[in-house]
Amino acid sequence: MASDRLMAILTLLSQRGRTHSQVGSLCSVAAEFTDLSGAGIALVSSGRQYTSLCTSNSTARTLMDLEFTVGEGPCVDACMSEFAIDEVDLIATNDRRWAAYAPSATIAGAHAVFGFPIRIGAIRLGALSLYRDRPGPLYGSQLSDAYLMASVIGRAILSMQAGAPQDTLAAELEREATFDFSVHQAAGMVAVQGSMTVGDALVALRAHAFASNTALSELAIRVVTRQYHFDPISDAWRDQSASGLE
Amino acid sequence: MARESLLIATLVELADNLVDDFDVIDVLTVLSLRCVEAIDVDAAGVMLASPGGDLQFIACSSESMRVLELLQIQADEGPCVDCYKDGKAIINHELANSDQRWPNFTPRAVALGFHSVHCLPMRLRGRTIGALNFFRKETGLLDEEDVVLAQGLADVATIAILQHRTSLDAKTLNVQLTNALDSRIIIEQAKGKVAQATGTGMDEAFNRLRVHSRNHNLGLTTIASMVVEGSLASDDLDMPAPAKKH
Repeated sequence: MASDRLMAILTLLSQRGRTHSQVGSLCSVAAEFTDLSGAGIALVSSGRQYTSLCTSNSTARTLMDLEFTVGEGPCVDACMSEFAIDEVDLIATNDRRWAAYAPSATIAGAHAVFGFPIRIGAIRLGALSLYRDRPGPLYGSQLSDAYLMASVIGRAILSMQAGAPQDTLAAELEREATFDFSVHQAAGMVAVQGSMTVGDALVALRAHAFASNTALSELAIRVVTRQYHFDPISDAWRDQSASGLE
Repeated sequence: MARESLLIATLVELADNLVDDFDVIDVLTVLSLRCVEAIDVDAAGVMLASPGGDLQFIACSSESMRVLELLQIQADEGPCVDCYKDGKAIINHELANSDQRWPNFTPRAVALGFHSVHCLPMRLRGRTIGALNFFRKETGLLDEEDVVLAQGLADVATIAILQHRTSLDAKTLNVQLTNALDSRIIIEQAKGKVAQATGTGMDEAFNRLRVHSRNHNLGLTTIASMVVEGSLASDDLDMPAPAKKH
């Protein structure tokens, strides 16, 4: 049973899902759930290539394009950071922060901007950027909500990369604890088995769970107890089904 | 060692770690181990609230799967959830299958051999950020001195996580909590890689990471990150000295 706030996100996603794509829903819900003017999600690759996944309105779109062009701003900074980024008053800021970004962002209509890294542990997936058309900081629960939204988006990105269909994200989040240690242990093991990064292993586990209609956590336990492993030579999963070692 | 001396020694050890680059997972692991030594319990674990409000396990006295599971399933229901929500200690609660208070948690705990549970809130300046959880195989009461000692250790754990900030603004709190949880994910991923690469179990994998981090005076999460990224090979980790069983 997920927390109240997580259930609120899932409810909004399911409502949005009737009229939007999964990706579009994420952005639109991010803005609504955090009670801000707009949202954008950027992905970052290992080569520091940024791509925009979605934006919730034309201002958010303008802001993201601007960041990618000038290479600075809350989203770009958050992609590379461990910490959330904020600028609560773009006009009043004295420290010449983002000299190329700030003036144009203000003209576009953003007076406060925020960036939240989207990560799974140390794996950087990208960032959630949020703006408000008035200055001011985020209040306490708004901040927690933004962190939670970023973690839901992270799961959604992995899910999409694994080719899972739209409705599997909600089921996964509802059923499983926000943090499942066996999934991460399994990802470490599969990373070695398949000579891939841990990030790719997380995606591969999800893809196989979806393809075999198994719960992710169940598959992870099988991998950790060595009943199941990934065989790189045949590029397939092997079921040993002997009694597991721990 | 007399209990008071053990408490003082633990506080000194932790205080040593609280300056400069301390590793929050390592500190909380030490704390959990000391709890088991100092108090008449069989396992101890620390649960922490995520920014979204769910409890997640952060550290424990034993890396055995069963203890980890018992902590993890308390994300939704169990003594830790109650303790966290109410901010009040749960002491000497006997677990019997007839107990309806925690219908998912209790049978699991009993099946794993635990018959009493205790939980202390981790609180600082009116905020509860998590819970320190103890399991005992036997029923029977913890005496009052044990409870006072345990609460003292819980308070140290809280300070360790919050790094004794003078102001507990929501932003700082969220950063500290997120970083602690991310560290745990990295450690689980590293355990998986080491277990797979060296053909050992998760307990031994964790031990190797910890021993290596101490030998080289680097944070546990730092070592784990290097293993996850691939810049430190599992085979290059120091081997622990032959273990004495506690």
